[in-house]
Amino acid sequence: MWRSDFTFSKRLLGTLLVALGLLAAGGIIAVDLLDAGREGGFGPAQQLALVVSSSLVLLGATLIPLGNDPA
Amino acid sequence: MPLPLLQRASRALLILALILLIFHLAVYLVYAANLIAFPFDYDQGEGFELVDTVMFSRGEWPYQDTEAFPFYSSNYPPLYHVIAAPFVWLFGPAYWYGRLLSLLSTFVTSGAIGYAVYRESRHRWIAILAGLAYLASNTIYHVGPLFRQHISMVMFETLAVVLLAGINEVQDKGRRRGLLILGAGLIIAAGYTKQLAVVTALAAGVFMFIRQPRRAILWGLASAAAGIAIFAWMTWATDGEWWQQAILANVNEIKILQSLALFQQWFGLHGFLIVPAALVVVYEFYFNRISIYTLWFVLAVAVNGAASGTWGGGDSYFATAIAATCILSGIFAGRSLRGTWQFRSNYLSRLFIDPARRFAPQLSVFALIAIPVLYLGYGRAVLKMPTNLPVFEQIAQVFQIYPNAQNGFYDSARTQDGQYAAGYAAIGHLTTEEDIAAGYRIVEMIQADARPSITEDAAFNIVAGREVITNPTQLLNLDLRGIFRGDELIGMIEEQAFGLIVLRAQFYPERVLIAMGQHYEQSETVTMNGFEYIILRPKT
Repeated sequence: MWRSDFTFSKRLLGTLLVALGLLAAGGIIAVDLLDAGREGGFGPAQQLALVVSSSLVLLGATLIPLGNDPA
Repeated sequence: MPLPLLQRASRALLILALILLIFHLAVYLVYAANLIAFPFDYDQGEGFELVDTVMFSRGEWPYQDTEAFPFYSSNYPPLYHVIAAPFVWLFGPAYWYGRLLSLLSTFVTSGAIGYAVYRESRHRWIAILAGLAYLASNTIYHVGPLFRQHISMVMFETLAVVLLAGINEVQDKGRRRGLLILGAGLIIAAGYTKQLAVVTALAAGVFMFIRQPRRAILWGLASAAAGIAIFAWMTWATDGEWWQQAILANVNEIKILQSLALFQQWFGLHGFLIVPAALVVVYEFYFNRISIYTLWFVLAVAVNGAASGTWGGGDSYFATAIAATCILSGIFAGRSLRGTWQFRSNYLSRLFIDPARRFAPQLSVFALIAIPVLYLGYGRAVLKMPTNLPVFEQIAQVFQIYPNAQNGFYDSARTQDGQYAAGYAAIGHLTTEEDIAAGYRIVEMIQADARPSITEDAAFNIVAGREVITNPTQLLNLDLRGIFRGDELIGMIEEQAFGLIVLRAQFYPERVLIAMGQHYEQSETVTMNGFEYIILRPKT
């Protein structure tokens, strides 16, 4: 990665997006579980954040099969 | 229809689209000229940006302690006001030069958009249309000629993005380094014009990281160091007020419903360009390399769009996304007309593109008509104009356009009975001589009392030659964050130390408004620019 001619492939970018999306989704759900005493449950902002993180996972997963094409 | 005939039809439609967008430019210039001649606040907050400019012209920081008289502080970064400060030395405090600077910055942005589209598509007509499309947007029209820093931020952002777009293809090391320094400098300039430019810094960083991580990390660290050094110096030089007033006080809760309403409105007005822009995003992700324009568009839509629902946000937060939309849709249009789309072979192209290749000739013919129609549709969707001025009145009659806003103004962002999305700026209409006369009436009232006055629009005090007391929205920002006490200000209100209080939207903290209500009473109301200004005098 530190080489001057290194560039991201679609596969690497896809993998990173999947990891990022899963981390974000896990974090959003964890916040809700840890804050279980709060009233109101899963709010609209959390729902929106979960949609965004799920979209990242989906985008990443569809990029992975593109292999070594430069991103 | 034979191809030459279709090409002529396409050219005719492109000319029609160009005429429509030039008409939008004419409306914009009429509006700008009207505002430049208007000596009071048109959009609330303009006056406080003028106060900031005046303070910089005196070598003072506008980031002050709001607990002490005159209870004034700014929450905006300094660059726009610093650029305007020399005009204070030459002309004194006035609104026209700030509005003119903003107007000129929109022309620069429009030019940069046109240049970017031409560089990518080599299609002159589309490049011109893309640049004009930016100026035609209802949002850009609203904030373009205001004494507000937002639109200058968009100019710096656009210049930076256009400059950095081809940076990885520059072979000459010295030239590349020069461009990187300039690009990073423009992003820092955007950030020190308005904090919202952080999305552009992020887009540029991600773009460079994907293309060449080593360069991105080195240049990212250097740029961050420069930005942080300026930040630290300002925090030190203002005894921490820069941090408190411009950063802490600016973190506001997002009202999701307002964001959603503004997203819906943004799509309703700009949908003709958003759809092709989104298609370019999909194309680059799956069939080509991801450009900085795509990342800029995605981040500006997502982050700034969500932030539009904050207190102090609004449709102007979409301005960066609109610039990105104009570039991407222009690239789509240019490539479609030139037939220069290229798809890499992969599982998606085998599924969707290869089966459609046999329709390529028909699609090229379709594009000849569809692309100009996109710009014509956009031109109609963003229509706004005065309906009671010569020429415009006749046009309105011919096309049956009826006013749905103040002073005979028509705005497509509103319903015919004048309703609009929460957070949308209720401006755009032209001011009148009566508005100017009403403003001077309030100025005379202030001058008739020897005591200082609190005015929710700074202009009245500025024109009266008096000191501007408080910045209501900033007091409210601080109050919402729980970092405003207001003891001294409330004490002065209770002592009736102010001769006059002029309220407009009543954007003061609740405690301050209660004190005003308890110790002052309404003497009259003055209507200026469609707003009711409530004049309060001390209770006897």
